[in-house]
Amino acid sequence: MTTAPYGAVTVEPFGDSAVMVTIPHTDQAVRRAGIVAFRDRFLANRPHGVLDVVSGLESLLIEFDPLQTALPHVEYAARLVARWAPSPSDGPAGSAGSRAVRAFAIPVVFDDEDGPDLASVAEETGLTSAEVVEAIAGSTFTIALLGAAMAPMMDGLKLPRPVRRRAEPRTDVAPGAIMIAGTNAIIQPFPGPTGWRVVGRTPHTIVDISRPDPVSFGTGDTVRFVPVSRAEAAALDAGFLLPTEESV
Amino acid sequence: MNTVALEITSAGWITTFQDLGRRDTERRGVPTGGAADQHSATVANLLVGNPREATLIENLGGELALVPDADVLLAVTGAPALVTVAGCPADSWSPLVVPAGHEVRVRSDLARGARTYLAVHGKLNTPTLLGSAAPDPRMGFGQTVARGSRVLLDTEFRGFGRRPFQPALFRLPVPVPRFDDGPWVVDVVPGHGIHTIPGIREVIEEATYTVTPRSDHVGLRLEGPVRHPDSDTEIVSHGVPIGALQIPHADELIVLGRYRSLTAGYPIVGVAARVSLPLLGQAAPGRRLRFRWTDRESALRRFAHREAEVRALGHATAEAFGALGFRVPLPDTN
Repeated sequence: MTTAPYGAVTVEPFGDSAVMVTIPHTDQAVRRAGIVAFRDRFLANRPHGVLDVVSGLESLLIEFDPLQTALPHVEYAARLVARWAPSPSDGPAGSAGSRAVRAFAIPVVFDDEDGPDLASVAEETGLTSAEVVEAIAGSTFTIALLGAAMAPMMDGLKLPRPVRRRAEPRTDVAPGAIMIAGTNAIIQPFPGPTGWRVVGRTPHTIVDISRPDPVSFGTGDTVRFVPVSRAEAAALDAGFLLPTEESV
Repeated sequence: MNTVALEITSAGWITTFQDLGRRDTERRGVPTGGAADQHSATVANLLVGNPREATLIENLGGELALVPDADVLLAVTGAPALVTVAGCPADSWSPLVVPAGHEVRVRSDLARGARTYLAVHGKLNTPTLLGSAAPDPRMGFGQTVARGSRVLLDTEFRGFGRRPFQPALFRLPVPVPRFDDGPWVVDVVPGHGIHTIPGIREVIEEATYTVTPRSDHVGLRLEGPVRHPDSDTEIVSHGVPIGALQIPHADELIVLGRYRSLTAGYPIVGVAARVSLPLLGQAAPGRRLRFRWTDRESALRRFAHREAEVRALGHATAEAFGALGFRVPLPDTN
């Protein structure tokens, strides 16, 4: 990952035991890339007393134990990390904090039954349904964060324009559904509601709570969607999703 | 080490295994979850000589009852409830010896508070997800304790050699919260959203809010006056802490719970002080709430004071149980 051009961060208190970090920059792309880079560095240099973090699109919520540390310490540590800490992915392979990037090629059935929003996305973007599928299959996604219930939220959708969310959210989307909105894609791990546009479905299990580590992916991993027919998907006997390759 | 079976003879409306929640999972999209009233859960475990993060049973509504097949040491905390052992009234917020074959019953009164906690000395055998026994319904991890089931417990407790109706064995310094009848007062630290909604500070300060039946462990949905920002500028979705006071597009106020969606894009006018979160975890539908603005230092002073009381209890129970000849807390077997 290239280092985002930023040096300063804004750190604001959020209640009595959290702070919100943002990157003051006029360019949205810089703010978004910058906060991802900041998050990686901060977690690789986690200060004492920090309990967890929550990623937003352009922000990072840092939760701390107020009896183990104090707001000024967390704020100071965040500023130090932003200015000085190397990105964990800058170091030599195998150095502390570096993590292998995994690549996933995920088989997906794209049709009107598993992708009920395919036709409306085609209409909105001025393409045919087949061209929308082609564009999704031609995109290489990067996992930006893990959303609700560990759903992989990805950047990198290459369509002529960002896709709107549904005005009326769907109430019961099947697990494995491939969904898009804006320039993002996400896979639904469990049945549930969503406002995203449903375009296809993978036969793989994305999150398996019976495993010690319920997912095989993490932030920074890359994903491609491979169109398959319904018969091919059934023949796959697809189980838990695993990466196709791993590189450090 | 003995394995004891607890036969569940009655379950409440929502009865689950619970603990203090998951650690380090919010970065991966899984909310910490855990006991809605962390203070009561912690104290219940300390009262039976467990580590504070041990698995226990959380009950909402109805009646929870169980019969152990060997003597057990247990404690009931949380909202005021009618506790009986073999039909005789027993104290909550105190260690209790329940003899083999006798039934302990805990009858809730939702008008006084939402949740009770029942801890038993030892380790309850139950599955975990990401290192915690706390349920996560969104991920299909229900952790329901059902009537007729048998819950297994590994325990070193072998009784104190006393009959059940002798005078109480312990007089411990137990920090029992107040469960008043009138509106409960929740301390709130102002947040960024307070500057984007003119007059909201005064509105919230003066109003009394009522918890609606649409509330759950994701959030309390409150009925009462709110205001909205003048401009409808879209807020970029960002992480939200437990206790955030959020004003959605509708006319309601939401206080986020431990199972909240981790990110949201609504104005957040404040965040409930950490010390007030256990009280919010006890607010059942119909409960009236008032909010009191506070600054971070005062909020943390109260939290530190509460924590000192909890630690004092931990020391006192360790000494009392040590004198009676068994080690506490149990060595961590995780």
